[in-house]
Amino acid sequence: MKPTDNTPGNHNMTADGAGPGAMKPGFHNTDGQGIAGHGSFFQQADLSREEAVKATDWVRKHVDRRTVDLGDRMDDIREHMWELEREGEIIVHRITDVHKPATVKTLFGWEKKIPTNQLWHHKSCGQCGNIPGYPTSLLWVMNNLGMVPGKDYLDETDQTSCTAWNYHGSGIGNVESLAAVFLRNFHQAYVSGKQHGFEAGHFFPLVHCGTSFGNYKEIRKYLIESAELREKVKKILGKLGRLVDGKLVIPEEIVHYSEWVHVMRNRIASELQKIDVSNIRTTTHVACHYYKMVHEDAVYDPDVLGGNRTAIITSLSQALGAQVIDYSTWYDCCGFGFRHIISEREFTRSFTMDRKIKVARQEANADVLLANDTGCVTTMDKNQWIGKSHEQNYSVPIMADIQFAALACGADPFKIVQLQWHASPCEDLVEKMGISWDSAKARFQEYLKEVEQGNIDYLYNPELAYGGAK
Amino acid sequence: MQQIFDDIRSDFRYDHELNGCLNCGICTATCPSAHFYDYSPREIVQLLWTENVEQVYDVMQEKIWACAQCMTCAARCPFKNSPGGLVAIMREVAIKHGMQSAKDVLRPFGRVMLKLITTGNQLSPDMIQPDHFPDWGPNIQKVEGDLKILRKAIPVKTLQTVDTAWEVSLKTSVEMYTIWEMTGVLKSLEMMDENLFDVIEDFIDEKKEDYEDWLEEQGDD
Repeated sequence: MKPTDNTPGNHNMTADGAGPGAMKPGFHNTDGQGIAGHGSFFQQADLSREEAVKATDWVRKHVDRRTVDLGDRMDDIREHMWELEREGEIIVHRITDVHKPATVKTLFGWEKKIPTNQLWHHKSCGQCGNIPGYPTSLLWVMNNLGMVPGKDYLDETDQTSCTAWNYHGSGIGNVESLAAVFLRNFHQAYVSGKQHGFEAGHFFPLVHCGTSFGNYKEIRKYLIESAELREKVKKILGKLGRLVDGKLVIPEEIVHYSEWVHVMRNRIASELQKIDVSNIRTTTHVACHYYKMVHEDAVYDPDVLGGNRTAIITSLSQALGAQVIDYSTWYDCCGFGFRHIISEREFTRSFTMDRKIKVARQEANADVLLANDTGCVTTMDKNQWIGKSHEQNYSVPIMADIQFAALACGADPFKIVQLQWHASPCEDLVEKMGISWDSAKARFQEYLKEVEQGNIDYLYNPELAYGGAK
Repeated sequence: MQQIFDDIRSDFRYDHELNGCLNCGICTATCPSAHFYDYSPREIVQLLWTENVEQVYDVMQEKIWACAQCMTCAARCPFKNSPGGLVAIMREVAIKHGMQSAKDVLRPFGRVMLKLITTGNQLSPDMIQPDHFPDWGPNIQKVEGDLKILRKAIPVKTLQTVDTAWEVSLKTSVEMYTIWEMTGVLKSLEMMDENLFDVIEDFIDEKKEDYEDWLEEQGDD
């Protein structure tokens, strides 16, 4: 038998069963080990070289580069925003040079502008109530990079949560209410500079929460696509006095804080980092609502895990010089489930233990699991202890990327990083970074006595929170 | 039953979320809820796609509430379906029709709904205490102390709160109440849980009065 007759690829020529008559002509003659593991059904395509190149190019173009055939449904929504603005329907809150933007690529290769300055902090209702070290670390890093509160960023009381947790958890709320809340909050961001003597649009919203980020992008899409929805919410925004020249204000980009961290990572590492973290094994959990909702907008970088994962968090770990460790269940949700963490906790804690905590320990032997969303940090932080009841004695510290960055930059683990609110075992990590947990705790307990006397340290003038003095 | 199905189909997002189905099952393979419940996002898509009205009604009795809304299904689907998005529509319709499944499922969620609708923040420090979450263990905070003092030790003024995640201005709250009223959220709530609605309505009225008083004070100055 000639190699080219019945044995495509020249494989298994000498194996048992090889030879004429053993297989149908054209089929691979295999005893269980076909080409690259294919079975006996494998059939050579017999493509010419030109055809093979053409086929491979198609795969490269459409799969490797993640530029799948988007069709009409996957237009870049921002292009439609410009059209609506030209038609006088909306005002786009633009990112301009004053916001010192950095440009990054998204999943589909689209460019996204990330403002790095003049930011309106849109807080997270879960994060602020539960893991406050996440916003404090962010503001601390901004201050240490020389940003001036009241000019380069603003943290004010005139904002609600996006209310999407309620929507996803309970179904109470609807697209119209979510859209009105979105537009109300982002109108406030647009006009917030006024009380500080700046023009409209001075501050650009920086969204802290993963769910807010996903929800706002989804709602923006619906608003752009549906004239009916715009009409409905225009009445509400009009009643609230939150139209500008009779128009809705919609931001050019929805920007998550971890995207800000991503584009600032090299400055954080080069200007602020004080602690060598090369002995720390980090692994990453990115919020589902960061990269699975409106996934075309999530940031990817070919230099970060080959572009096979969204870049945020991992890129920060790389910049800080930590050991980045991957694990098989990286794609899984944390188990938060919105409703589940409140009323069906056996789902939440089982999922987080089985699919995240256990795997992060067994496969990655992680010193820390870094996340970028409130719900994920809460879920994976709080649900470790109960694992003991099923002899799942796995634990790993969980914190937001910016908390880890702040620690690496010398921030106090209690006063700034606020690790005292975490249930997971942060002590060993802090010690491994060369910071004395006990000393920091003793200092903090002394500080609490000062707080009782009303002597409180602030990251900025508290009056700014109410729109007062700079 | 037909009306429920028609309401689902007439939602403007429906065509956005349902395009077809290869039955490949990748949505179910990656679904966290499918690990733990008798729930399959593929089933949801198939039922809606094949217009099986009776079975659509059946899954709304329980199954749709298993979805964790992580949207992994949507990110994975080769047909660009969003089973999680379809579930969101079905949940809204279940509430609109006052279905018992919605009432049952939402009951334990009352405390969160009360917090959200009245303050705009879902989680507050006073909710996240050991007695509410015994399964979180004995050491859910690493420093003992009075909650108010611990919150005062956060170096950001807006976070030095106990009953909200951050301090929300009165004007902001009142604007939010207007949104709830104008978008029918309060009406839905009344249908789901009349007692909770009454409590929330009283709270909102009180806050509105406070705001009116504040406005008058400003006028006097």
